[in-house]
Amino acid sequence: MKTGRPTNLNLFSFKWPVTALVSISHRISGILLFPAIALLLYLLDLSLASEDGFRQAAEILASPAASFITWLTLAALIFHLIAGCRHLLMDIGIGETWRAARSAAIAVFALAGAGAILAGLWIW
Amino acid sequence: MLVSIYRYNPEQDSKPAMQNIEVDVPADRDLMVLDVLELAKAKDPSISYRRSCREGVCGSDGMNINGVNGLACITPVSRAAGPGRKLVLRPLPGLPVIRDLVVDLTQFYRQFEKVKPWLINDETPPAIERLQSPEEREKLDGLYECILCACCSTSCPSFWWNPEKFIGPAGLLQAYRFLADSRDTATAERLSELDDPFSVFRCRGIMNCVSVCPKGLNPTRAIGHIRSMLLRQGT
Repeated sequence: MKTGRPTNLNLFSFKWPVTALVSISHRISGILLFPAIALLLYLLDLSLASEDGFRQAAEILASPAASFITWLTLAALIFHLIAGCRHLLMDIGIGETWRAARSAAIAVFALAGAGAILAGLWIW
Repeated sequence: MLVSIYRYNPEQDSKPAMQNIEVDVPADRDLMVLDVLELAKAKDPSISYRRSCREGVCGSDGMNINGVNGLACITPVSRAAGPGRKLVLRPLPGLPVIRDLVVDLTQFYRQFEKVKPWLINDETPPAIERLQSPEEREKLDGLYECILCACCSTSCPSFWWNPEKFIGPAGLLQAYRFLADSRDTATAERLSELDDPFSVFRCRGIMNCVSVCPKGLNPTRAIGHIRSMLLRQGT
């Protein structure tokens, strides 16, 4: 509805509950995974093409920047997976009370954080 | 205590601005946000806001208090701002501001109207009244208590981006209130009117609505029930 009147929609002035933070992070991690999958498929293709290609792919992945991107991808994947499971459970009616949804949201962040640390240990 | 209030007067201002007002509050007791707002209005009588019952029943004084929607009359300052901190009052998000803390709720009411929030029953009325079993009546608990303060719908990003197509948490809670009513005979019609990609399915379950409802109601669960009913009807 266009009225010419102002609206209060400064997103940074709002305080967001943890359930909303899980939701927006779920989207952001999904967006990150999209180009990451293209990149990984390219590397897979390269490594399967020839022995030279495999060596090239290994070299690319060995660089510090690539390690960081791999870690970011893994962290995003872990978060997206866990948050997705919570979303599916809520879709079938589990954890729809405020207390359960809030606890589950905190658990998603905790588990995904732990997963990200483990992924970091594995990579570096 | 310092109070920061969103000010906009369409006759004078081209855009809104925050106004800081220093208010003297008693140190020995906790006030409600509305009390502080009244004190601020005593200093600057041009501040506009809606209020009526001052006890969380009428739903007039819904506003954004330090980033969270709530009723000013039943939100303690201690909980909203914390000791020594500034109280920040803005109008409910996403709706056009008429003046200061007063928003135009037309869009909100329009969505409420869409769900036909009244009992539809095409059977002949019985001689006395339409009876319900205690179990049937119990299904309406947590649904009928809504006071239409708009705190939930105006905290919902899905409603901000699609206020014309997404019914919003308040409207959907009422939609389910009549879908769940054993005396209502229009269940199938009600469901078919909600059966599109926007009316119900724009809800992403982020639960801002549940987190702010001053009555402790749960629109997310009601929306889940509607979704299940739609799926069952579709198969």
